[in-house]
Amino acid sequence: MGIAFDYCPDRPENIDAILNGLDRYNPETTTVFQEYVAQQCENQTFDSYANLALLKLYQFNPHLSRDETTTNILVKALTVFPSPDFSLCLALLPPHVLAQSKNQQNGPPASGSIVEAVQHLSILHTQLNNAQYTEFWNTLDGDDLYADLVADVQGFEEILRIRIAVVVSQCMQEISREVLEGWLNVTDAKFDHFVKEVCGWNIDGAVVKVPLNKENEARGTVVRENVKFEQFGRMVKRAYEQPA
Amino acid sequence: MSVRQAPTYQQGAPQRSMDDDSDVEEEALANDYREQVGYENNGDDYGIEGGAMGANMQDLQAQLQAAATPLEYQATLETKIQSYDSYCNLFHYILNSEGPVDIEVPSYFWAWDVIDEFIYQFNSFCSYRQKLALTQSTSGNEGDLVVLRENPNTWGCYSVLNVLYSLIQRSQISEQLAARKRGEDPAPYAGDYGSRSLYQMLGYFSIIGLLRVHCLLGDFSLALKTLDDIELNKKAMFARVMAANFTTYYYVGFSYMMMHRYADALRAFNHILIYVSRTKNFQKNAQYDSITKKNDQMYALVAICVAFHPTRLDDTIHTALREKYGEQLTRMQRGGPEALPIFEELFRTACPKFISPTPPDFDNPSVNVDPIEHQLSIFMEEVKNNMWAPTVRSYLKLYTTMDLTKLAGFLEVDADTLRGWLLVNKQRSRQMRHSEGGLLEGDVVNSNDLDYAMQGDLIHVSEAKVGRRLVDWYLRNLARTY
Repeated sequence: MGIAFDYCPDRPENIDAILNGLDRYNPETTTVFQEYVAQQCENQTFDSYANLALLKLYQFNPHLSRDETTTNILVKALTVFPSPDFSLCLALLPPHVLAQSKNQQNGPPASGSIVEAVQHLSILHTQLNNAQYTEFWNTLDGDDLYADLVADVQGFEEILRIRIAVVVSQCMQEISREVLEGWLNVTDAKFDHFVKEVCGWNIDGAVVKVPLNKENEARGTVVRENVKFEQFGRMVKRAYEQPA
Repeated sequence: MSVRQAPTYQQGAPQRSMDDDSDVEEEALANDYREQVGYENNGDDYGIEGGAMGANMQDLQAQLQAAATPLEYQATLETKIQSYDSYCNLFHYILNSEGPVDIEVPSYFWAWDVIDEFIYQFNSFCSYRQKLALTQSTSGNEGDLVVLRENPNTWGCYSVLNVLYSLIQRSQISEQLAARKRGEDPAPYAGDYGSRSLYQMLGYFSIIGLLRVHCLLGDFSLALKTLDDIELNKKAMFARVMAANFTTYYYVGFSYMMMHRYADALRAFNHILIYVSRTKNFQKNAQYDSITKKNDQMYALVAICVAFHPTRLDDTIHTALREKYGEQLTRMQRGGPEALPIFEELFRTACPKFISPTPPDFDNPSVNVDPIEHQLSIFMEEVKNNMWAPTVRSYLKLYTTMDLTKLAGFLEVDADTLRGWLLVNKQRSRQMRHSEGGLLEGDVVNSNDLDYAMQGDLIHVSEAKVGRRLVDWYLRNLARTY
């Protein structure tokens, strides 16, 4: 279970070498990272630690930054909600981008700008993190800009559907079909297929049954004290030093 | 140097008037410290040309001391820039002389003091520059603006990182620490430079310095990654220098907090705060005084983390926390929109002074947003996300089964909203927690004593009870019988 944040099983060796050396600050590696991001978008893999390194290069060399790659990284980070990746990416963006995206006084941001992209993606992020999945799909379908933003990321909707299903499997033993259809944004035969084949759950009339797992059992536990021998070390020592 | 002596900014007015007031205390403490340690600093010791270095041992000693000494609060921009130049000269001398240099350092803690002061000056210079660029029309500091515009590379981020990384590489400290971790003798890995204590200490504290710089730049995962080679325990070298010990845990804890790993953040803060409270009686000196401010900041962070992640604290910490931030903690733990300003206030007082790595854009004042605001707004998103967790939890604690619509009625929200809150709260209770290995590693564990699952609209609630703790009681009483 324990996976380090900086670990990625699919990371190529050359990327790994750059990340662990001083080349991660070398502006010339920007192109290597950019290609790697494109590759991740295509292969449906995700390497947060490497993407943060690229954002850092952009942070240090603003003239090199490419908005398209930045938004792709942000979209990729959405696919792993509720992990902190999206926030960590935002933390490395230039402060004025986020500030302008929040400040509505000057009207909507310029069309096609990074500010606009960040603003829109932040809305998705908030909705996902607040488990407002139905609203999330509505937002995504409601504005053509989103289609452009997520276009590069292969299987974006499918990945998110699976992430949502994971959350559901952690919390639910049974859920009404209507609610789940809204959350997953699929209906009818497609819904049946996704729930049965991809998730391996059962449909019983209007109810979807999620098999029990460790997370959705809700069984009370008693945390017991973990006693180590070392705790008794001093006592044993004293008993040894002071024979009765 | 004459180029920099532009006459316009010698107005007699306090040059750092734009700088925030919070520095005043820190600076006062620093001055105090200087008096106690008996450093002589006239501010004139700076600016010794590189060529003269080493020629005169007296000069060198003065420079070594100056490097570890805080600038005066009133220091002009010119002094700050000169200070940067002398740091460059000094590090150049230490790193790029023919072979390792043999110098006698003024004190045991010199290496820490130098790195600490170096980064502090870098940090405050960047903050000052950023603020000036944002408020330039009203600041009345046109002189400083001109100088800053003309010297974009002074206190540059790349050069500061370069110094830290070079010190680490020269001393081969990473290799040495890795060897020590494996249980081997580090000596064969040390090389010419690393076998000398000067380089060893500089390299070691540069790692801590990197942790700090990465955190200031908002790269929290890299900050934690930097400490891969250092084992966080009482035997670590940094633990011998109180200020270093303190700084390390502050930045580790803060980085964890920004990565939403509250249990780990609390562990870091707890560790050091307990340590401070136990040793404060032995540390009645300047070194202790200078950390009281950071101490309070850490309590604020503890309050934030506890609000996110309810947990039992050590008794000493708990008492101190109640004293310092009792009211705020209660309000944060209650949750809801009323708690948001409290989170904001505490974050502002307790966060490091974030900086941007690049010089500000003097021609467009409005784009130079304060990086602290940037990080704050990211953090507040997370707070808003968690806002309803305390409310939900407080109700669920009372039941073993509960109907969703009924609970929604109690809370005066619709069923869909509540369903969302329940999902959020459940996800939030699953957190990465460090157990062994690098600081970025960890296992996902249930961090909450309350757990639940939904069967349709029926919520099943379960609680993890803590069994009685017998061992402590047993040992205490057994000790009495001797």
